[in-house]
Amino acid sequence: MVQGKREVCHLRSSVIFGSPMAVAERLVSPALYVSVFVIATSGLVYQLLSGTLASYVLGDSVAQFSFVIGLYLFAMGIGSWLSKFIERDLLVRFIEIELGLAIAGGLSAPLLFKIYAAAGAFKVALYGMVAIIGTLVGLEIPLLIRLLEFSLRLKDLVARVLTLDYVGALVGSVLFPSILLPKLGIHLTSVAFGMLNASVALIGTMLFPLPPGTALRLRLSCFAALGSLLFVGLALGDVVRASEQSYFGSPIVYTAQSPYQRVVMTRSARTTRLFLNGNLQFSSDDEHRYHEALVHPAVAALGAPPRRVLVLGGGDGLAVRELLRYPEIERITLVDLDQAVTDLFRDHELGRELNGGSLADPRVEIHNADAFLFLEASKESFDLAVVDFPDPGNYAVGKLYTDSFYLLLRERLGVRGLAVVQATSPAFARNTYWSIIATIESAGFRTVPYHAYVPSFGDWGFVLAGGPGLLQPTKLALSTEALRFLDEATLAQLFVFPKDSARPEGTVISRLNDQKLVPLYTTEWGDWAR
Amino acid sequence: MSSRRAFLQLVGGSFVLGQLAPPPRNIAGARLGASHEVGHRLLGSTGSAVGAPDEDERCDVAIVGGGVSGLSAAWRLGGRGLDVRVYELEPFVGGTSSSSDDGVVPHPWGAHYLPAPNLEARPALRLLESMGVLLGWDAAGRPRFDPRVLCHAPEERLFYRGAWHPGLAPREALEEEELAELGRFSDEVDALLERRGSDGRYYFQIPVALSSRDPEALALDRKTMAAWLDERGYVTPFLRWYVRYATLDDFGADPEDVSAWAGLHYFASRKLKTPELEASRYLVWPEGNGRLVRELGERSGASFRTGTLCRGVREEGREVELALEDAATGRARRVRARAAVLAVPAFVARRLVEAPEGVLPVRESSPWLVANLHVHRDIDPNHPWDSVLFGAAGLGYVDASHQLTPPRRDTVLTYFRAYGDADVRASRIALRDASWESLARSVFGDLAPAHPELVHATSRVDLVVWGHAMPRPRVGFLGARPFEERSQLGERTSYAHVDVAGLALFEEAQRSGVRAAEALAAPLGLELGESWC
Repeated sequence: MVQGKREVCHLRSSVIFGSPMAVAERLVSPALYVSVFVIATSGLVYQLLSGTLASYVLGDSVAQFSFVIGLYLFAMGIGSWLSKFIERDLLVRFIEIELGLAIAGGLSAPLLFKIYAAAGAFKVALYGMVAIIGTLVGLEIPLLIRLLEFSLRLKDLVARVLTLDYVGALVGSVLFPSILLPKLGIHLTSVAFGMLNASVALIGTMLFPLPPGTALRLRLSCFAALGSLLFVGLALGDVVRASEQSYFGSPIVYTAQSPYQRVVMTRSARTTRLFLNGNLQFSSDDEHRYHEALVHPAVAALGAPPRRVLVLGGGDGLAVRELLRYPEIERITLVDLDQAVTDLFRDHELGRELNGGSLADPRVEIHNADAFLFLEASKESFDLAVVDFPDPGNYAVGKLYTDSFYLLLRERLGVRGLAVVQATSPAFARNTYWSIIATIESAGFRTVPYHAYVPSFGDWGFVLAGGPGLLQPTKLALSTEALRFLDEATLAQLFVFPKDSARPEGTVISRLNDQKLVPLYTTEWGDWAR
Repeated sequence: MSSRRAFLQLVGGSFVLGQLAPPPRNIAGARLGASHEVGHRLLGSTGSAVGAPDEDERCDVAIVGGGVSGLSAAWRLGGRGLDVRVYELEPFVGGTSSSSDDGVVPHPWGAHYLPAPNLEARPALRLLESMGVLLGWDAAGRPRFDPRVLCHAPEERLFYRGAWHPGLAPREALEEEELAELGRFSDEVDALLERRGSDGRYYFQIPVALSSRDPEALALDRKTMAAWLDERGYVTPFLRWYVRYATLDDFGADPEDVSAWAGLHYFASRKLKTPELEASRYLVWPEGNGRLVRELGERSGASFRTGTLCRGVREEGREVELALEDAATGRARRVRARAAVLAVPAFVARRLVEAPEGVLPVRESSPWLVANLHVHRDIDPNHPWDSVLFGAAGLGYVDASHQLTPPRRDTVLTYFRAYGDADVRASRIALRDASWESLARSVFGDLAPAHPELVHATSRVDLVVWGHAMPRPRVGFLGARPFEERSQLGERTSYAHVDVAGLALFEEAQRSGVRAAEALAAPLGLELGESWC
C-alpha cells in the first residue's frame, strides 16, 4: 500500500504536473473534464440504447428500462469499488478504460441485435453488455478524481467532476430521443458514440504526457478501435458509397439514388458502364452488339418498317438510338419507371455521348411510368414493342414477365405488330430463358427465339413475339454499313441454338400469383455463380 | 449516487418512457370504432321500446344492418324499381368488411381477401362475374379469374426463430418430427377435402348448409379442435401453432374453444381446383373485401342511412314498422315498409324483435383488434402480401399496396389480432377500456421481434376494436338440427346474418342475405325468378 501511494504521488508530480507545469495544467485538466462530460453522455446513451433495444425486442418497456437502469447503476458501483485496485499508471488505465467503453458501447447495439436475430441468448448478452458498460463508466469517475486530486481542493474538485457528469447525462438523455434515435437509429447512434469515445481517448494520448512507447501503443489501439467501428458503421449504414469504388472497379463518374434503385455510372479510359443496384446494364465496349441484336431482327421480321414503336424499359436510350436509324418511324413511346435514368440519358452529357442524344429526338416521347400500368391504361396501337426490362430477379420486376403482362402487351400491338423481348441468357439460365418464351406463348403469341454473344454479359437471349404469320427474318431492313455487329450472315446465325442451350423439357408458365420464373432465375444464376 | 439514481429514474421512468417506448408522440392516430356506445343503448331493451316518433317515412323494403348480409339482400332486390333502404348503426357500411380510402392506399378494416369461391357459392360467383373478376368458364365448367386479382407472388412469409421464411411452413427450419407431422396433417385434411358422407355430400362445404349430415361428420361438432388434435396424436409445437393460427384467423378463437367440425372446415372446404389456383387462390384488393362491399352497394340501387340505430321491428297488418333513432341526435323516426330484413347479429336481433324459436341462434362472438399502420419504408421488391410472426399474439399484417405496381415506399400495413380466450367477455371489456396508446403500443410490441424499428417508420396508427367481430363456432354450434337455415321472422320480415351458418365467411353472409331477400318475394308480390343460391 505504501508502495502504491508513492506511485500515485509520483505520477501526479512528474507526469501530470511535470514541467512546464503551467502548460500541462492548461491542457490536461480541461481534457480530463471534457472526458468526464463525454463519458457521462455516452454512458447514458448506451444505457438508453440497451433499454430501447430491450423494450423493442422483449416488450414491456417499463420492466426493461427498470432492469437496464438498475443493473447499470449497480455495475457502476462495482466499477467504483474496483477502481481502488488500480494503483499504477492511472492515465494509461484511464485511456484504456475509455477505449474499452468505446468498443463495448459502440458495438453494443449491432451486436445485441445480431445475437437476437441469430436467436442467441439475448437476455444474457444484454445484461452482460449493460454490466460491462456500467462497470467501465463506474471505474472512470473515481480514477478521474484521483488523477485531478491535487489540482483543486477536494470540495471544488468533486463539485466540478460530478456537475459535468450529471450535465453530460442530461445532454445524453435529451439528445437521444430528440435527435439520435430518430435521425441515426439505434445502430448508428451506438457506433457514433463508440467513435466519439475512441476519439476522446485518441486526443488523450496526444495531450497527456505518457511514456513514448505506451503512447504509441495506445494510439494504435485507438486507431484500431476507430477503424473497426467505422467499418461496422459503414457495413450498417449507407454502405454503398465508400465501398462502391472497389466493387465497380473503375472510377465512378455519376451516381443517383432514385426511389427504385441506385444508379451508378463508371468510366475508365476504355469504357463507360451503367450499373443499376450494382447490376451491370451495359458496357460501352459492346452494348452495340446487344442493342443491334435487340432492335434490327425485330424490324426485319416486320416486313415493312414500323411507324409507331413502344419501348418498355430501356431508359438508356440505346435501343431508341438503333430505332432512330429508320426514318419511317414516326413516333417512339418510351416507358421507363425511373426518371433518374431517363434524365441521365436525356440531359446529361455522359448519357448523350452514348446514345447520340436519342432521347432528345422530337420523335421520342418519354413516360416515367410503370410498364404494367401504362399498358393497362393505354388505348394506342403499336407496330413494334421493344421490351427491355432487367432480368426477373425479384418479384417486383417479375410481374413484367407474367402471362398477364404479355396478354396486355398483345392488346397494344396492331394486327401485324410484333414485340421483341430481352429474355436473359439461354446459356446461364437455360430454363428461365425458355420459360419466358413458354409464358409469352401462353398469352397467344407465336415466338421466334434467338441469341447473340455480348462479351460483357455472355451469350444473351431475345425472343420475337408476334401473330401466326411471324417468321424468322432473313434480310435486314436497313443498310448494314451503319451497323457494327449485324450483317445478313450474322443475322442467320442468331437463330441457331447449340445443344446445351436448346429448348428443354419442363418449361414453366409464370403467372402473377406464382411467379415461377423468379425462383427459377435466382437458382440458375446462383448455381452458375457458385 | 442517490442524486444520480433519482435523476436517472426521472429520465428513465417518465421522460424517456414517454418519448421512447413505442409509439412516440409524433405518431398520429385514433380509435375509429366500432360505435359500441351507440349499440349498447340497446342493452336492457327488448324491442318494444318505441318512443313517439318525430318523423315518419315509408319505403318498400327496410334493411337493418349494412354489413355483407344486408347489402346482399339489397343487391338481390336491386334493379326492380323498389325503394330499398339500408339502416346502419356505424357511419359507414360494410361491417367487418369495410375499408378506408384515407391514406396513400385504400386499406381494409377487417376482412381482406376472398378465397376463390366454390361452385356451390353461387351468389359470390355471380357477383365476381358481374365485376369482371370472373372472366369466364373453362371447358370443365370451372371459373377463370382475372389473374391480376389473385394474390400476387409472394403471398406470405413467416418470421420463425429470428428469420423470415417464405410461406407459412418454414420447411428448412423445422425439425424432422415437425415436418413429418405437418405432412401427416396435410394428407389428412386433403383426404377430408374430398371426403363425402353417406348422403353423397361433401363433409365440408361452402355454403355450410350443403355439407353432409352423415353422423360421422357431425360427430366432429361434439369435440373441440384441440381434442381432435390430441386424439389424432398431433403434438409438435409447430403444428399446434399452425392450427391455432388458422382457428384464430377464421373464427377468432383458440382451438380449445372451437368445434373440430369448424376447425377442419377451415382446411377442407375449398374445393375449386384449376391450374391457375395452384398458387394463391386468394382474391385480393388493396381495400380488401371493401371492394366487394362497394360493388354490392352500388349494384343494389338502395339508399343508405348510416348512423342510425334500430330499436325495434314489428309487423303491423300488411306493413312492418321499424323504430329508428339517429345515433348522433337521438331523434326517433318511424319507418313503415312493405317488408324488412334484419341483417344484424343474433344477439342484437333478439333485442329488436320477438323471434320464433330457433330462428335466431345463440352465438358467442369473438373480439378483434384491427390496426392500420401508415408507414414509410425502403422498397423491398420481394415483399409479400401477408407477414406472420410465429408465436406472436396477433396474426401479423398484410400490405395494402401488395397488388399495386410498381412497389411503393409509402403504404398501409393492416395488423390483425383476435382474442381467442374462452372468456370473450373479459377480452371484450379489456379492449373496450384500452386507450389508443396502450393498444398501439401492443401492436408495435407484437411486431418488434421482426420489425424493431417499425415505430420510426410509422406516421399514423388507426385502430378499430370489433367487440363482436364474428360468431365463434364453439362445440355444438351446428345445433340439434344442423344446416336448417331458418330465416323467417314473420310473414314479411326475414333474417340474414353469418350467425345463421355460424361461420363468418363472405359466401355465408351473401347467401344469407340473398335468401332473406328471396323469402320476401311473396309479401312484396315480386317475381324474382330462379333462386340465386
